Amino acid sequence: MEKKLVTKILARADRAEAANLAFKYKESCRIAVVREPSKTLAMLKMREPVKGRLFYIGEVVVSEAIVELDGVRGMAVTMGDDFEKTFDMAVIDAAINKGIFCEEEALLELGRLQELFEQRENAMHLKTMVSFNSMDQEVK
Amino acid sequence: MGYVAVSGGSEAIEASIRLLDYYRSGTDKDLDIETVAEKLSLLVDRVMGEAGLYSKTYAALALKQCEGCIEEAVFLLRAYRSTLTRNYYSNVLDSNNMRVVRRISSAFKDIEGGQILGATYDYTHRLINFEIGSEDAGALRMNVLEELNSQRPEEIAPCPRVSDELKKEGLIETVLPDKAEPFDITENLLEYPADRSARLQTLSRADTGFLSGLAYSSLRGFGGAHPTVGELRTGYVEVNVPYLFDEAQEIYLGEVLITEVEIFSEADDEDKLKLAVGYGAVFGRNENKAIAAAILDRELETGGPYPSQNEEFVLTHGDSLEMSGFLSHLKLPHYVTFQSKLDAVRKTRGGKA
Repeated sequence: MEKKLVTKILARADRAEAANLAFKYKESCRIAVVREPSKTLAMLKMREPVKGRLFYIGEVVVSEAIVELDGVRGMAVTMGDDFEKTFDMAVIDAAINKGIFCEEEALLELGRLQELFEQRENAMHLKTMVSFNSMDQEVK
Repeated sequence: MGYVAVSGGSEAIEASIRLLDYYRSGTDKDLDIETVAEKLSLLVDRVMGEAGLYSKTYAALALKQCEGCIEEAVFLLRAYRSTLTRNYYSNVLDSNNMRVVRRISSAFKDIEGGQILGATYDYTHRLINFEIGSEDAGALRMNVLEELNSQRPEEIAPCPRVSDELKKEGLIETVLPDKAEPFDITENLLEYPADRSARLQTLSRADTGFLSGLAYSSLRGFGGAHPTVGELRTGYVEVNVPYLFDEAQEIYLGEVLITEVEIFSEADDEDKLKLAVGYGAVFGRNENKAIAAAILDRELETGGPYPSQNEEFVLTHGDSLEMSGFLSHLKLPHYVTFQSKLDAVRKTRGGKA
């Protein structure tokens, strides 16, 4: 699985869901903390459409952690300050890197539920789509 | 102006700080952080934007700490961010693929992807709803979640930019992406003429009232802009950074809610064969600020004799922290400087007597 997909699901998961996915590896593997969960910042870079110039819109608070699971490293960076979740995400990453992560189906199911939620939210927004009727034939 | 150090007053200052708790407590009902973050989200958006720091929880906490004062909350967030390292720079946010929650155009009634009103107060009657004063928050939440769960899921499709269509027709200039790294106003002193990236960053975190007032002055005649909102779009944008152990891959950190505005106006070139565009982008659903930023972007591009067209005027005086700090300093003891003013007036009066 691509890192982007895994982290997208885990970032949107709540603490308990991430803990469930990490539980087995925390119980059965030797875990060394390389970088304790801690807060840092990520600067957000955007591109504006007028001149194509890059610019910074602002920063976001993120938490990061690095662990070693039976000698294999895993890391996590995620928005917010939930250290427990960040730690669990790093454990899951290490389990994937070690090739022992076997909760793929549960992870993907979680992703499907998240997508369903967003699609339902999207449906509510699309109901506000308007069609303006011009009273002037020339206006497109 | 002269300054002098004064001593004393520490007990009064401590008592004053304790008194803040008396004012802040107000009632025995608590205001939890989640409530502020979720129910006063437009206020939280404004604070995050003016602080230049996206964290709903900390913005809500800061607002709670300072009785809802925007400039104090911005100060607290700015002070806090200065204690943190910055270990990451995001990949370029792809706002073309934002998960749109609102998107309108005043330039065209039919736009590809449609006009999505989203949640807006624009069409409300602006009559106070006294029932909200005693509403059942739990029941309200349950009702809206029931409505959400009853929806038939709709695929999320990106909305193309309105300006892209005009670019295809050659009515707006098409530019190649600039690869130069942006100027960062949080780490470097702003110099004039300012780089475009510095201008946009400054406008993004400027005080909402300051930008709105300046843009309003421009629209009323103290400026050249009479723009049309080509597109206003609000939505969630993914934040990704390279994966530490394999930079060919990226990881997803979360998503931020932003508002982008492009305003169209007549070009100032001699031929007037193309439209000119102003751009503004801000955190959250702060759309009047985004419109004002886009107007001022255009005004600064053209330049002119009015305040809204003067780069140093616009970019130097709109920072919430700096403006409130400078105004606040007037409250500190100025005994010596004032005594000298007083002496001067007394001497003048004495000379005339």
